[in-house]
Amino acid sequence: MIHIDELVIKYGDFVAVDGISLDIQTKGIYGFLGPNGAGKTTTMRALTTLLKPTSGSITIQGLDAIKDMQEIRKRIGMVQQYISLDKEISVRENIICHALLHKVPRKEILSRMKELSLMLGLEKYMDKLILDLSGGWRRRTAIACALMHRPKILFLDEPTAGLDTQSRHILWDIVRDLRDSGTMVFLTTHYMDEAEALCDHIAIIDGGKIIAEGTPVQLNNLIGKVAVDFERGGKVITKTFASRDMAKEFISENIPEDSTYSLRKTTLEDVFLELTGSGLGGVVDD
Amino acid sequence: MIKTIDGAIRVAMADLYYLKRNILTVLITVLVLPLLYFISFAYGLGSTVDETEGVTYIAFVIPGIISLSTLSSCFSTTANKIMLQRRFYSSFDEIILCPVSSISVVLGKSILGIIRGLLCSTVLIVLGLLMTDDFLITPMLLITILLSCLTYCLLGVVAGFLVKGVPTFNLFNSLVILPMTFLCGTVFSVSAMPSFLQVIIAFLPLSHTTNCIRSAALGWEFPWISLVLIIIYGLLFLIVSKYLLDKGRV
Repeated sequence: MIHIDELVIKYGDFVAVDGISLDIQTKGIYGFLGPNGAGKTTTMRALTTLLKPTSGSITIQGLDAIKDMQEIRKRIGMVQQYISLDKEISVRENIICHALLHKVPRKEILSRMKELSLMLGLEKYMDKLILDLSGGWRRRTAIACALMHRPKILFLDEPTAGLDTQSRHILWDIVRDLRDSGTMVFLTTHYMDEAEALCDHIAIIDGGKIIAEGTPVQLNNLIGKVAVDFERGGKVITKTFASRDMAKEFISENIPEDSTYSLRKTTLEDVFLELTGSGLGGVVDD
Repeated sequence: MIKTIDGAIRVAMADLYYLKRNILTVLITVLVLPLLYFISFAYGLGSTVDETEGVTYIAFVIPGIISLSTLSSCFSTTANKIMLQRRFYSSFDEIILCPVSSISVVLGKSILGIIRGLLCSTVLIVLGLLMTDDFLITPMLLITILLSCLTYCLLGVVAGFLVKGVPTFNLFNSLVILPMTFLCGTVFSVSAMPSFLQVIIAFLPLSHTTNCIRSAALGWEFPWISLVLIIIYGLLFLIVSKYLLDKGRV
């Protein structure tokens, strides 16, 4: 579906994306996880044809991102991190403008708009100016706009950045519904919990390079399935283990009875910290 | 051609919705500057000047104010809107992402400016007809005003694509628009300027739009070379803006 080969993007001397190669065949939700400045948005802008790569190639559904730019644009939708709506016109007018820009047949515009406003809970807000809406409703409007032309792939750049917990969960449900209705979703995020809760497949990016890729389970298994957090010398140390039995054995041998510790499943955050070099204190294998 | 115009209208829709919602505000802001020019030059200065180039000063200055207004309203509307969409609202990316040609994008972003320029010119033409018998409505007057609006909107597109924010926008205004406003014979005859300045002025597009609008409105011999130069300027701005868009420098 999306094939990236040795993608390099430079801004002057600064290398924002450093030789990324990916072959994404999943039909579900693909997450690009990384800290701020890792190269997530730059990669997404190249995938959506907004940015020409310095070198390397991108193909989407077999189409070249440079040669077949116009055809790709018909097949994708994008919601940017900084909501790119016209703030001085209404939700309805924004949605109609997007539909016209993407050449949705005029007969279909009203029915599609009604369908999406119901799906996204926008009915009451259709005649409000974007300026008068909160971040969550603006995001929903942007998603409605991006879906008007029924894209095969929806790109979401940091879809929940700046939203409150309730809005985040509502948006997660919307993204899952989109996946279930057959749309491939490619999203970037720096929230570990979001990537873990939402994505069927994740690539971890840091310093413009992919440092790991797989399902959340596969990524967690890279450092072991079980983690133990305990205190030593005033610091909280985390150790990961391939199995619960090994973790328990470690606790009985190394942690005094009067000390506090926690035994838990490894999370994506553990994987991320380990792979990006922050270190977790090592893995104990079978 | 029809495909390009259809694409341009699709691109312009958001601006047209904005215009519909804010028609009164737009009308007021469009008319303040030309009316001020009109009052200060036609009434204020006009009462102290008998004749300029063989006609009353009021007849001489109204075409100049029309020309000046097409520049200021078309340029500022288009450049401001694109700068805001690019630098502050990020909504210009949505236009880039849609499957319409770059020519349609450039022309579509000019439509709001053209409408404002034409509104402004219409009011000034009515004033001209009421104030002096020397002022005529001719087909060439209407054609030149339309071409002038389009050319300055396209210049606005180029500026909107190039500027990085408010400071560079102001710089562009100061270095390109402001000198044209004062030098291109809109409110006085260029023949009064030193000869070296006249050579420079002859290269500025506002000199030619003023020349054409004045000749058409006062029934003078029409300066066809100036009209050709306006078209060349328009094409040049169109090509530059298309180039910037196609090369991803927007």
